[in-house]
Amino acid sequence: MKGDNLYKPIKAKVLEVIEESPTIKSFVMKPETKFYFKTGQFIEVTLDGIGEAPFTPSSSPLVTDQLEVTVMKTGYVTERMHQMQGGETVGIRGPFGRGYPLEKLYDKEVLVVGGGCGFAPLRSLLYNLEADKDKIKKVTFCYGSKNPKECIYEPYIQRIKKINKFEVMRTVDEADETWTEEVGVATVLLDKVDVNIDESVAVVVGPPIMMKFSVQKLKEMGYPENKIYLSMEKNMSCGLGKCGHCMMGEYFVCKDGPVFRYDEIKDQPDIWK
Amino acid sequence: MSNYHSLSKQSWEKALSQMMKNYHIYAPLAWGESQDYERIDEDSISEIIYNHPKPASPLKTFFLPVKENVVNIEKSDKKKIIMGIPSCDLSGTNILDEMYLDNAFTDPTYNKNREESILIGSDCHSLQEHCHCTTYGIKPYPEENHDLTLSRINDTIYLQVHSNKGEQLIREVKEFTPLTEPTENEIQGILDKRKSVEEELNKRNSDLPNYSDTGDLINSSGDEIWKKHSETCVSCGACATICPTCTCFLLLEKPGFEKVRHLDACQYPGFEKVAAGEDPLNELYKRFRNRYMCKYVWKPEKFESIACTGCGRCIEACIGNISKNELFLELKNK
Repeated sequence: MKGDNLYKPIKAKVLEVIEESPTIKSFVMKPETKFYFKTGQFIEVTLDGIGEAPFTPSSSPLVTDQLEVTVMKTGYVTERMHQMQGGETVGIRGPFGRGYPLEKLYDKEVLVVGGGCGFAPLRSLLYNLEADKDKIKKVTFCYGSKNPKECIYEPYIQRIKKINKFEVMRTVDEADETWTEEVGVATVLLDKVDVNIDESVAVVVGPPIMMKFSVQKLKEMGYPENKIYLSMEKNMSCGLGKCGHCMMGEYFVCKDGPVFRYDEIKDQPDIWK
Repeated sequence: MSNYHSLSKQSWEKALSQMMKNYHIYAPLAWGESQDYERIDEDSISEIIYNHPKPASPLKTFFLPVKENVVNIEKSDKKKIIMGIPSCDLSGTNILDEMYLDNAFTDPTYNKNREESILIGSDCHSLQEHCHCTTYGIKPYPEENHDLTLSRINDTIYLQVHSNKGEQLIREVKEFTPLTEPTENEIQGILDKRKSVEEELNKRNSDLPNYSDTGDLINSSGDEIWKKHSETCVSCGACATICPTCTCFLLLEKPGFEKVRHLDACQYPGFEKVAAGEDPLNELYKRFRNRYMCKYVWKPEKFESIACTGCGRCIEACIGNISKNELFLELKNK
């Protein structure tokens, strides 16, 4: 790593574009060389001559010849990504940063709380947990979305529901006539989860406001601050702790994170912004 | 054997003229009332300014140019000799090295630019209005990160060797002109000059809080002082871009999967804004405070080296007349 030029992307071909929701698409990419990442680490995807943006892969870290990112259309680069059809060549840099601490989840009841497109990084974690399910007590996955149309990864949800030790709960802010699950913000699910908190570790990923209220709720439930893991979203650019855009107090989110224990970051300024 | 060498100014200029064949030589030249690094040629050799305090630009611009391709790395035709570097800028290199030559990743262009430069430090024989290096533990004469120190007294140039690169350069100078070993009296003259400037700096800045206190002062401050001192800030970013230790950058895309690193500043609106809309630095006083937090609170948590050298450029560059020293005095005397 020391000798490599980490500013230089490797090339990857977009094999498939999957429409996950009206605002979210997944991009399956085949990198020119095998690509290894740990769940929760992020990559930079380069659109040649256009721009670069950070994403945490949503595919399984155990697969090294392909990887997938799930992208909400929010800005300049993501809008251009949403125009892609497949067959394009993009650049990939990384992986960068510190991911989810898998070893800290072993022998635990893992409570995974996701909001919106925050499901993307969590899916790579869930793939790992599925592969390691003998080493964990159980997985409770709570997922909240705006409305049924914005609920992503429907086939995946239906599959993991059936896995032994996995429980899935979903809620939407605004239901329609087809919706049969919970209604309300993600934290309503936390009122219903059945976990032994002393044996549990929580992982939360979603929009800042959702993470803020989820952490508040988890604390009320009795989770210690050092048993709550968050994946922070900042303006990561270089990925190397140099460019300064993702500074969150004393931390470079790209290098020291993006996954943090809540107690590590709670005193830093504006963590929910 | 002493590591000092001396020669007449005339002989030094003759040697520089010869060395220009093998090196690009940069030295401070007059810019109106100010002075800045310029690449010298035959005509400007005699106009080089010696032992003046800091040039307008910080040394970092040689290692981290405003704009540089970091993927398709340009080859250099000649190495650089950089003259007239003040001690504050040389000490500012510590944190740049810590950031850009860290154990996990050696930044290729920074490393190349650093390796290809021979650094001639310069004793400051006078001070500028806002010089306050000694407040942060830096002497007004180079002690680290350079190859030679140069002091000019009257028409004699004294060169003190600090590294193998410096030793090598001395050998090259000797090819063009003989060098003498200065007498003890002459060396004492250099040391006396250093001491008098240091005393003057200490006297002038005796009220300013030292580097280790600045962080606590900031941590115990409320929002009000930042709002007050940022009233005339126009987010131009001059304080950051002119700072010898501020190096935040943008990566611009160049077709062919190349990337161009461009100097950036946390003072610009939108610096930390994410695509979804969140922006921790959405207010002027927060951006203004951010730079202080970075230099005096956060960087000290992460790095061994100091992130402010007391050069005073941020004060001189500010079109809103904002003075960090006045801010710190107000915090201290609160």
